[in-house]
Amino acid sequence: MNLSFQEKSLWLMFASLFGVFGFYFVTVLPADTVDVQPQQVVFFVLAVVVLVIMAIIGHVVIALVDRHRETDERDRLIALKGVRNGSYVLATGVFLALCVAMLTKGNFMFTHLLLGFWVLAQLVEIGSQLFLLRRGM
Amino acid sequence: MGKGGGLITNEIRALRFHQGEMTQQELADRVGVTRQTINVIEGNKYSPSLEVAFRIARVFGVSLERVFQYREEAARR
Repeated sequence: MNLSFQEKSLWLMFASLFGVFGFYFVTVLPADTVDVQPQQVVFFVLAVVVLVIMAIIGHVVIALVDRHRETDERDRLIALKGVRNGSYVLATGVFLALCVAMLTKGNFMFTHLLLGFWVLAQLVEIGSQLFLLRRGM
Repeated sequence: MGKGGGLITNEIRALRFHQGEMTQQELADRVGVTRQTINVIEGNKYSPSLEVAFRIARVFGVSLERVFQYREEAARR
């Protein structure tokens, strides 16, 4: 499959987000404490750092391999549609997190529901872009 | 694909052929878009902006109507 720079970049971010936060949630969620624990905060910060490092190294490698790095009007339109789709998921997540915050004790559930929906929104945004880039629009 | 229900088709593939078999990448570079965008325009999967449409026509040295056609009737059938 002949992927553009844009598609390679999006696949990198999709895989990184899925891998890093998938591992984070599988590790942290079984704890199910009332409040977020200090070690969970450290784990979260580490996850973000790993994500940033993966994105930087990955983009450097992609940029070295692919010399066509320009974007055009279609890429920008697809990016906007991706952001729109992701924003629906994020808005739903914020509403549900507020409901959970009012109905449950502690901040563990609220924080992780919000984080989970943020990750899901990012995946929907990137996934939408990958779909539209491949299908055409 | 037209946004208003009509169908926008084009002759880009034929025009490229008559321009010494110009590649999609060459056309993309001259128009200022990506090769993937030329590919989906050719396949009638994306209707470009007027600016890009005019730039494509200018590369081939023909009128806009020679490159793009709008077929309202075909879409209604």
